[in-house]
Amino acid sequence: MAFREYKLGARMFGLALGGSMCITLLLPAFDFAAVASTDMGLDKQFTAGHETGFSLDDPFLLGWNKPLKVTLKADPVTGQPMEAKEVYVYQKGTTFPAGVLHPRILGKGIEELSVQKGKISEAKKDAGAVFGLAKDGGVSYVENLTATKGWTTAVVMAAANAGKDEDISHAGAGKTMFVREGCWWCHTLLPEQTQDWQVFGAPPMIGDFNGESPTAFGSDRKAPDLLHVGSRNSSREWMMLHFFNPRLVQPHSIMPRFDYLWGEKDANGQKIDFDKWRTEYDQYRNGSRVTPPDVPAYSKNSEIRYLVDYMMSLK
Amino acid sequence: MLKYLFAKNEDIPAGSAAVFWGFSAIVWFVIGTGLGSFNAAKLAFPDFVTGNEFFAFGHMRQVHVHAVIFGWISMAFGMAMMYITPALGNTKLWSEKLGLWNALMWNIGLSLGLVLLWAGVSSGREYSDFPWPIDLYIVVFMAVPLCINVWMTVINRRTQGIYTTNWFFASAVFMVSIVFLTGNLPEFFHLTGLTEAYLTWWFAHNVLGLWITPVAAAIAYYTIPKVTGNPLYSHRIGHLHFWSVVVFYSTPAAHHLMSAPLPEWLKSFASVEGVLILVPAIAFVSNILLTMSGKWYMFVENLEVRFTITGVLMAIPLNMQGGFQQTRAINWYIHGTGWIVAHAHLALLGFSTFLEAAAVYLGLQMILKRKLYSLTLGNMHFWMLLIGFTTYWVSMTIAGLIQGAGKIYEVPYIDVVIAEHPYMIARWLGGTMVFVGNVLWLYNMWMTARQGTVVPEGRMPHELAYER
Amino acid sequence: MALNFDKPLYSLSTPVENKADQATWEGESLGGITEDNNRLPIPVVWLLLLTVLTAFAITFPLWGQRPNAGLYVDYVKAMNTPEIMAIQDDKAAMAKIIDITKGEISKHVTRMDYEGLLARHPLSMDDLRIIKPQIEALMSAGKDPEEYNVVGDLVVLANFEGNLKADGKIENRERKQPWWDKGYTIDIFYVIMFFIGVTIVIKCLPPSTWQPKHHH
Repeated sequence: MAFREYKLGARMFGLALGGSMCITLLLPAFDFAAVASTDMGLDKQFTAGHETGFSLDDPFLLGWNKPLKVTLKADPVTGQPMEAKEVYVYQKGTTFPAGVLHPRILGKGIEELSVQKGKISEAKKDAGAVFGLAKDGGVSYVENLTATKGWTTAVVMAAANAGKDEDISHAGAGKTMFVREGCWWCHTLLPEQTQDWQVFGAPPMIGDFNGESPTAFGSDRKAPDLLHVGSRNSSREWMMLHFFNPRLVQPHSIMPRFDYLWGEKDANGQKIDFDKWRTEYDQYRNGSRVTPPDVPAYSKNSEIRYLVDYMMSLK
Repeated sequence: MLKYLFAKNEDIPAGSAAVFWGFSAIVWFVIGTGLGSFNAAKLAFPDFVTGNEFFAFGHMRQVHVHAVIFGWISMAFGMAMMYITPALGNTKLWSEKLGLWNALMWNIGLSLGLVLLWAGVSSGREYSDFPWPIDLYIVVFMAVPLCINVWMTVINRRTQGIYTTNWFFASAVFMVSIVFLTGNLPEFFHLTGLTEAYLTWWFAHNVLGLWITPVAAAIAYYTIPKVTGNPLYSHRIGHLHFWSVVVFYSTPAAHHLMSAPLPEWLKSFASVEGVLILVPAIAFVSNILLTMSGKWYMFVENLEVRFTITGVLMAIPLNMQGGFQQTRAINWYIHGTGWIVAHAHLALLGFSTFLEAAAVYLGLQMILKRKLYSLTLGNMHFWMLLIGFTTYWVSMTIAGLIQGAGKIYEVPYIDVVIAEHPYMIARWLGGTMVFVGNVLWLYNMWMTARQGTVVPEGRMPHELAYER
Repeated sequence: MALNFDKPLYSLSTPVENKADQATWEGESLGGITEDNNRLPIPVVWLLLLTVLTAFAITFPLWGQRPNAGLYVDYVKAMNTPEIMAIQDDKAAMAKIIDITKGEISKHVTRMDYEGLLARHPLSMDDLRIIKPQIEALMSAGKDPEEYNVVGDLVVLANFEGNLKADGKIENRERKQPWWDKGYTIDIFYVIMFFIGVTIVIKCLPPSTWQPKHHH
């Protein structure tokens, strides 16, 4: 049987799909590779760490393999008071962010400064490292403080633990919670131009994402944009009530309750009785109780604390 | 079906694989729409089932999406390929055994992936939410075996030419593998930043454009000529359709990120290409509707034709929306609102689902050689799907316009939530109607396999009268 | 496959090839579904043409979703006039600014669609006060404000990829979208290639005047 030949069609098909992929993947890749990180991008990248979605380092999205962001008010080595400085503590074994592993991701200018002056290439995963942002001639770059100032993770964490707990931010692990709990199905991280930004803050710039994964812009906004939520609302108390049961502070909210992120015990180590709380809340809702039951204070290492820290970091 | 997994390929009756795929698809459809209905209830009544992360909206939303896309739609595609590809090649399926295993692996992989998503184990990337080991599983055990089976059947055909449907099938199974491997590069190699954001939407766009849309259309190219007995109106318009899908549907990925800081040239490029998606749409719709000439009574009288033509007609508003909502002129108003949710459901639950439902109805009757058990149940399924979907689409479109106005006129967000509430209830009612319709369908199909009137050799099911 | 370009709009195939194709077409039922060889109906051709034209027309002029700073230069200048400074009420002042700059903006902005951009991105007096020092700084530094976008409360370099500047360095391109915008230009070539390709493919089929007889 003489088969109809499909030589022309097969070649055309390869040409069409290949051409399409060249234009949509190859050409933009040059533009993306040339993007230099903004200050916000550097902060986001070092706050969130290497990967926030599924990875073999944190297969169940429990907030493992994440840095801590610590606010230092004194030099951790000498103890001299200094202007408050935020540093990113990558403890032993924590994967460094993409910008340290591949400095070219930081962008032209920033890469050279970070490697030469900031010594980021000297950071060792099995020793851990402390990073901070520094400026040189108006250009921000990343500094490996362990190499430049001898601020080892042990020294910095000792200083941080001696200070106030609120100076330690688990925003990196909090972003893991943000991804795992699907916050981004309703809350975008992408204010738009027109009038949108006047409510939710400035839209992101092109260099705001270098080294970040996932970017989790979100596409379906059923709730307010959160890119700058920490600037609009910096009350941890409000956040706590709102996460436990959004209807406590906003009766018309359709947000789910995130009380299960409190874990077993509250801040005082007491077991949280969720059933009792829900019963009392139902009584409050049907009018047989005047005030809603008190929301238990979350413990220092609860997942909700991580998430609130992340909310606070979104400036 | 399972008893044939270890049988010799020659001993497996033709069509076994298609039946396995078909019933799996229907079950996933019931599960997927059930989840959708549950999620919609949570948006209307946020205190409906609380206190457990497994019933939290953020854990269930993506399970609904992936159950319908990869469970219902893709398995219905697999079913269509298992019986249409050999029928059009005048041959047998290359390997029934591979088909059966493929369906089994598909069900296993999808169940595993959905359980992980349900537990929150996600890549955090919309539509490519599955963690990368699942993505690799999908390529190796789900997409590639399907690709091999379809390609080998086409290659071993006993006709000279390849019919339009099979061009689409063969190229789509190939393209979906490429899309999965390329779109998930950020997960395999930890690509970050704008590259990650852009590839996420490159994947999302192309999995719809190079898999769901062309395969759904290909099914209509089979069902309409087959059931009406009219030859396809034009082979050459089929060419226009096929080539414009490959060329114009694969390019507008950036139009999903019109408000994000991508290079502006990329957005301009994508925006023009986005409107040009109307080219394949016009070719497809005109070709199918012209094929119907002289047989329009079947749109009323025949269930499969009614499903198909309804789906084809829905391609018109779908592509008008899709073409223009992504342009800068309109996107700033409706981006990120319920309008887009309505549009996505018009594509998947409207256009695509109606075409696949026809293929599953027709295919199961043809392979099982049994007439549909109950026309009444079939009609109820059709109308519940159509009315339920329309309710959903209308309510979400209105909700989206409210959200858009709220966005532009700086309305406090909570007022938008309050204004949307009635539409959220309507959406839930519409979605629930679809779910109930699908439960009826599953029952109807099951009873067809058990008690449907036997179709004599050489006859088409629609040539017989219904008994119920 | 030998292509015959003598009568391309009739057919690109040789009569021999057409004969062979017709024989193939007649001799098989393609798995039970015969197919016809009709041409695209003329109204549909017009519809397709309209689609292509619309696709380009609706995307042109090529405005980004973020307004450029050039739009507001005249607003900022007007803020310093005694006439505006005398107005206490912000809303009235803004209305006055818009009124006195009407017709002026077009002299400084090269974009033909500036009116639409202004309508989509209206400013309040407070917004203007935030971006005023930034725009003034650009102007005094001798920068072209049209190369900058107003993103929220910040004035930042735009993402556009425009003409080369006098120094000829690629990284110093103008940040204005030029009429030959890269994406748009690729689109034009892409569409042309598509229609040439499809024409070749379709003209390799037997001419549409010939219809298969579905061997009954």
